[in-house]
Amino acid sequence: MRRLIALLLALALVATACGGGTTDEETTTTAAPGTEETTTTEAMEEEPMEEEPMEEGSLEGTTVTVFSSEDGVDEATGIQRALDVFAEEHGMTITHTGARDFSDQINAQAAGGNPPDIGMFPQPGKVLDFASQGFLLPLPAEVDAAVRPQWPGGTLETYTYEGDAYAVQVKTDYKSIVWYNTQVFEDGGYEVPTTLDELVALGNTMIADGQTPWCIGIESGPATGWVFTDWMEDMMLRVEGPEAYDQWATNELKFDDPRVIAIGNTILDIWNAPGNTYAAGGSIAATSHSSDHGQPLADGTCAMVRQASFFAAFLPEGTSVGPDGQVNTFYFPNVDTNSKPVLTAGNAASAFRDAPEVWAVMEYLGSTQYAEERQKAQREIKGGDASGFLTANLDVDLGLWNELESAFIAELLTADPARFDVADLMPSAVGSGSFWTEGTSVVNGDKTVEEGFAAIQASWPS
Amino acid sequence: MGRLAITVLGILGAVGISGLIFIGINKLFDLTQSRYSFFSGLVGAISAGVVFGLLWGNRMLDSPEMATLVAVVVGGGVGFALGVVEDRMQRLAIGVVGGAVLGLLAGFMAAETILPSIDPVTTAVGVLVGAGLGLAVWLLGGRDGDIVRNVLVGTALGWLFGAWLAAEFDGTRAGAIIVSLVLGILVGGAIGRRPRPNNVERSEIALSSRKYIFLTPALVFVAAALVIPLGRTIWLGFLTGNPNDLQWNGIENYTKLFSDPDIINFSGFTDMFTSGLFWIAIAVIAAGVVVGGVVGRRLGHSFEASPGSLSLMAGGAALLSFAVFVNIRGTIANNLWWIFSVIIFAVGLGLAVAVLADRAKGENIAKSLIFLPMAISFVGASVIWRLIYVARPAQDQQTGVFNTIWIKIGEWSNSATATVVIAAILGLVIAGLLYLAWRGWQADAQAVVGSSLAVSLMLAWLIYRFVGPGIGGFVVNEATGTVIPDPVLFISGNAPWNNFWMMVVFIWIQTGFAMVIFSAAIKAVPEDLLEAARIDGATESQSFWRVTVPQIFPTIGVVVTTLIVTVLKVFDIPKVMTNGNFGTQVLANEMWERAFTQLDFGLGSAVAVVLFIGVLPVMFINIRRMQRERLG
Repeated sequence: MRRLIALLLALALVATACGGGTTDEETTTTAAPGTEETTTTEAMEEEPMEEEPMEEGSLEGTTVTVFSSEDGVDEATGIQRALDVFAEEHGMTITHTGARDFSDQINAQAAGGNPPDIGMFPQPGKVLDFASQGFLLPLPAEVDAAVRPQWPGGTLETYTYEGDAYAVQVKTDYKSIVWYNTQVFEDGGYEVPTTLDELVALGNTMIADGQTPWCIGIESGPATGWVFTDWMEDMMLRVEGPEAYDQWATNELKFDDPRVIAIGNTILDIWNAPGNTYAAGGSIAATSHSSDHGQPLADGTCAMVRQASFFAAFLPEGTSVGPDGQVNTFYFPNVDTNSKPVLTAGNAASAFRDAPEVWAVMEYLGSTQYAEERQKAQREIKGGDASGFLTANLDVDLGLWNELESAFIAELLTADPARFDVADLMPSAVGSGSFWTEGTSVVNGDKTVEEGFAAIQASWPS
Repeated sequence: MGRLAITVLGILGAVGISGLIFIGINKLFDLTQSRYSFFSGLVGAISAGVVFGLLWGNRMLDSPEMATLVAVVVGGGVGFALGVVEDRMQRLAIGVVGGAVLGLLAGFMAAETILPSIDPVTTAVGVLVGAGLGLAVWLLGGRDGDIVRNVLVGTALGWLFGAWLAAEFDGTRAGAIIVSLVLGILVGGAIGRRPRPNNVERSEIALSSRKYIFLTPALVFVAAALVIPLGRTIWLGFLTGNPNDLQWNGIENYTKLFSDPDIINFSGFTDMFTSGLFWIAIAVIAAGVVVGGVVGRRLGHSFEASPGSLSLMAGGAALLSFAVFVNIRGTIANNLWWIFSVIIFAVGLGLAVAVLADRAKGENIAKSLIFLPMAISFVGASVIWRLIYVARPAQDQQTGVFNTIWIKIGEWSNSATATVVIAAILGLVIAGLLYLAWRGWQADAQAVVGSSLAVSLMLAWLIYRFVGPGIGGFVVNEATGTVIPDPVLFISGNAPWNNFWMMVVFIWIQTGFAMVIFSAAIKAVPEDLLEAARIDGATESQSFWRVTVPQIFPTIGVVVTTLIVTVLKVFDIPKVMTNGNFGTQVLANEMWERAFTQLDFGLGSAVAVVLFIGVLPVMFINIRRMQRERLG
């Protein structure tokens, strides 16, 4: 008996040892496309026209995985349904996964050799980082040619590294928006401000009246801090102007420059004024960026929330949005009324695997059809009014959006000057790294603006 | 379903194949006695197959199937010939020719991507170093082997490193052929110089092979899962840059790490000596020493580790760790603070519960309840405690337990009636405690006296706070005089104290672990020892401190070292509760953040190495003790 047990143990040992071996092999086989990718990348850069023509019907039975940062049930379902439309047409399977800590996960997956087929990046800076590091594949000429004319000029340029576009935009956010409670404005006799000074003055009037003007929170899991960077960007764009903004994006204008520090101090002065801020988590840094603000804004606990177009998704169910609704929006005002600078952002899909089915899905993701399908699905899920999904795709049927959101899209397409979210353009060590973490320390009062911004400047990759 | 079936089949297949390989190798070495030439041929074929298979697997061969097949046939032939031929010159010739053929094969089939451009300098250095190493091994090995063979093998390895592995892979086919041809001749020559083993030597081969055969699976497993990743992490710690193109960076990562004020920051060091907490801690420790000295003199020795002195000293040490780590900040300081607090509290509470519950009524229920949190994962516990700690804005109803209580206390301390009621109740409790102390004084139970006096002092302070300046979560609006609730941000603010609130979660879980181990050890203390102590007139507390504790001392060591290792690696709690924000970063989360959020594998690996070095001495002590126990 004892011998038998010993034999069994020995076998189990061998099994574990060799079991480890087989999993190793499996990972290497999954990693293999990764290694091939790098070689094909090089090959493709030389001969971009060698790409196989995409034939319909040849996609039967194939599978494509999509990984994105949109983990909200409504958003994730919207994406999945829009993808299913294409998958059913072609008899293929497309699975979408969303994760709140996408930016960590995608790093681990790409570096570990098992990335998804397609990643939907919330930051172009990350796309460019990954492109320069050889993880991503440039768009084949046909996909580029099919997608490019459907978007405003300059869209694909945002994702271009060394002459090749690497991603298609799948979602556009309009960021320079203030959401406000119409009842509070009516009761207090407040006017919608048209300049930045008026906005600040309005906040002070409200404080004097005992009304909390703002709901502010910057918590967002590993991405905590981005709301602060959004405010920084909107203020930079207004106070220092688009040129300074562009210099700031490339670090020509340094983070520890007095002008940048002044902006940081201005924001904190507004936020930290007594009676200014309602933070449902107890402090700004501990309050979620959006989900904690929907109810208080609808209740009138706070009068205003500065948040991007997707904030509609966080309002309580049944809240009416629009000029006659409970919640309306106004444009985050400029220093004067001569121009209307607009801050935008977007999610972009980029491919990790070189296969006809992946490129077919990529082309679909950049198409009008995808945007419309996602809008239809998401609007239905949200109850038929605001969907929280915007696109800058030129050919979409604006009738699919409600009045408010179709106005957003119209503004997106005509905005001048429009600037992409700078934190998303900066190298990810800063844009989704120190800018967020140091920003959080600054907001939380652990560091002064000078200390925090000096640390951000020090982290800029040389 | 299909996936499951494939997985199960895969596992069965892996088990079957590994079993067959294991049996096959044993059978192969059985052949050394009976059919040596056949054995030799098989070894040759397998060796050549493994070498070419590795090249194949690493995509280093063009048309790998063909090359490997030819290599197996050639290797088999050479092996068989060497198993038959006795003549030394013939053997050498066979080895050299066979090696040359295999070398040519590898050279001609080498993939385009690995063709070396030979650098004469590195090649010469490699050859010299290799030959020197071969010679050194011969000298160290007692000089009884074949010196030529040692030098040949050393030279071959040096040649391989210098001419190929260290070279740029942009050379020509001719370079590859030259390198692999020379390599083949050198290795073949070394093999050919080995004389054909006689009967005795063959049985030695058969015998000594077994231990390697049995060890190999375990060694492969340990190497693949532990040693190789460790080595790679240490190597990565010296690199920097793009994960697809890491560059040598020397110790730059470490200097960067230790000069980063977020990692370790001594700027508050001098503040430590001006903080009240520091001096209170020193005073408490000193009190413990004094108590120990006084009790010791009464018992006739210089110092007595009495319960009073020990608990004072432990409490003082905990306070001191607070005083130190509130002022020395940074990730490493946080980790050290975690170690001190968790060890003191988890071990202290675990031991206390184990002792007090021992043979008491309802022991099992009490211990089960305290052990229960062990069943909850760190992530689950963190989510639960985040809800306990949560703070809502001042005007809202609090939902976290702690803030609700704290704000309620604040309300009471601002209401006259509540203050009177509470002061009265606390006064009664103090009276009771004083009576207890009096009884203890008469019975000469100093622990009872000390603890009741200490608790009544604290309660008196509470009464003072209630009656006087007030206590609890509130602020008074100076202009209007109204009382506004003031919730505490237990974890997402209040740095550095938020670290302690997170440690509480860990202590809550690990106290059960310490308690169970201590409880078992206490029950294992021989009854006759305790009985002997009792007959000698020892009190309950004396027999605990002088008999039980020395008996369970090794167990305390085990618990402490286990806890140190677990605490050093703590990751889940900070990840879930604050993600390292608000000054609560720890090394494990720092490693994750540097490596995966910032995609800086060099710096992340450096943090991992620091963590590893921190765990190392504890592991060393643990292993040493295990070895001693085995010997003793």
